[in-house]
Amino acid sequence: MIEVDEKNLIRCPVCEAVNIDKDKENRCRRCGSPIYKYRRFKTEKSWAYLITAIIAYIPANLYPMLVSTQFGKTEESTIVGGIILMWESGSYPIAAVIFFASILVPIMKFLVLVYLLISVKYPLGKDKKVNKHKLYYMTETIGPWSMIDVFVVAILAALIHMHNVQIIAGTAATAFALSVFFTLLAAQVFDESLIKENR
Amino acid sequence: MKIENEDALDHLIICHQCHTLHEEIPIEDGTKACCVECRSVLYRYDSRLIDHGFALSLTTLIFFAVANFFPLVQIEMLGNEQFITIPMTFFSLFENGFYVVGMLCAVVLFLFPLAIFVLYVMLFLMLKLKKGEDLSRRLLVWLSYMKPWSMNDIFLISILVALVKLIGYAQIHMGVAFWALAVFVLLDIYMTKHIHLKEIWMLRKQIFAEKQ
Ligand SMILES: [Zn+2]
Ligand SMILES: [Zn+2]
Repeated sequence: MIEVDEKNLIRCPVCEAVNIDKDKENRCRRCGSPIYKYRRFKTEKSWAYLITAIIAYIPANLYPMLVSTQFGKTEESTIVGGIILMWESGSYPIAAVIFFASILVPIMKFLVLVYLLISVKYPLGKDKKVNKHKLYYMTETIGPWSMIDVFVVAILAALIHMHNVQIIAGTAATAFALSVFFTLLAAQVFDESLIKENR
Repeated sequence: MKIENEDALDHLIICHQCHTLHEEIPIEDGTKACCVECRSVLYRYDSRLIDHGFALSLTTLIFFAVANFFPLVQIEMLGNEQFITIPMTFFSLFENGFYVVGMLCAVVLFLFPLAIFVLYVMLFLMLKLKKGEDLSRRLLVWLSYMKPWSMNDIFLISILVALVKLIGYAQIHMGVAFWALAVFVLLDIYMTKHIHLKEIWMLRKQIFAEKQ
C-alpha cells in the first residue's frame, strides 16, 4: 500500500499517464520519458525559445513576404502590406484569414506564454478564475495555424514561375517560419506542472 | 488516497485540457467518457480497436501516397500551363535558396505525416500479433512527439487561400491529389478524435499482461 496525496499526481507530458511526483528523479512509469527534467532551470528554456521567436517576428514583419515580378516589374509586399492589398481589392475573407493567422495568432501566443511564464514565478492571476491549463491548451491548438501564410507563399512560388510572371518567397518567410517554430518549441518545453505549484 | 502499487494509477486520468483528476470507469462498447469540468473527451472504449485502427491507418496511408504522387492543382495563365504536387512546393523553396522554410515544410507536410501513419500501421500490426513489447513502447513515444508537428490540415486551407488569390488571373483545375489530400485530412482528424494514444497504451498493457 502506498499513501498518495492527490496534489502530488502529475501527468506525463508524453504519454499522459498519471505519475507520482518524485521531484528530482521523475521518469514516467509507463513510457520511460523523463518528466520535467529541466525543473532545475524551471522556465529559462521556455523563455529563451520565446524571446528568439519574438525577435524573429520583427524581421518577419519588416521584410517582404512575397516578391512578384510581372513583365519585368518587381513588386514586394510585407505581411501587413499583403493584408491591406487583399482588403482594398475586396477579398475580405482572405484578408481576415491572413490577419488571423499571421498577426493575431502569433501575438496572442506571445502574450499568453509571457503571461504563463510570469504567473508561475509570481502570484499573478491567482485569485482570478482563469484556467491556465485551458489557456495553454488553446494556444497549443491554434498555434500551428499561423503557418498559413508561409504555406500560401510556398504554393504560389511553386505554381507561378512563368516567362513573364513570377512569384518567389521573400526574406520574411524564413523569419516567420523560424518565429513559428520557436513559439511551438517554447510552448512544448513549458513545464505545465509549474502552473499547479503556483495556483 | 491509498493505492496498492503504482500500476493502480492507470485507473486515474488527468484531463488533457483542464488537468482535473478523474477515475476511470468501465463504459459500454462504442461510447466515450467526458470530463465533468470542460466536457472534453477523456477516453473511448472500442472492443475492436486493433482492427479499426489498422484498417483506418492503412487507408489513410494510401490516400497520403495518392496525395503526394499526383498533381495538386493545375493553372492556365497567359497561355502557360503549370501544375504542382505537394513535394514540389518544398522543392521549389529549396531551389530558391529558402532552406529553412523548405526543411520545415518538408517535415510538417511530408516526413512526419508519413512517419506517423507508417508507425500506426506497424503498431497495430504488432498489437495484433502480440509481439514487440519494447518496440511498441518506443513507437508510441515517437508518435506523441511527432503528432503536434503534422500540418496537412493547415496546408489544405492554405491551398484554398492561395487559389482564391489567383481567381481572376488564372484558370484553375483541381487535381486528383487535392481530393486525396482532403480525404487524408478528414481521416486524420477522425483518427485523432476517435483513437487516442492513451487507449492504445491501455490496450498494449492489457495485451502484454495477458501474454505473461
Ligand atoms: Zn509517460
Ligand atoms: Zn477537463
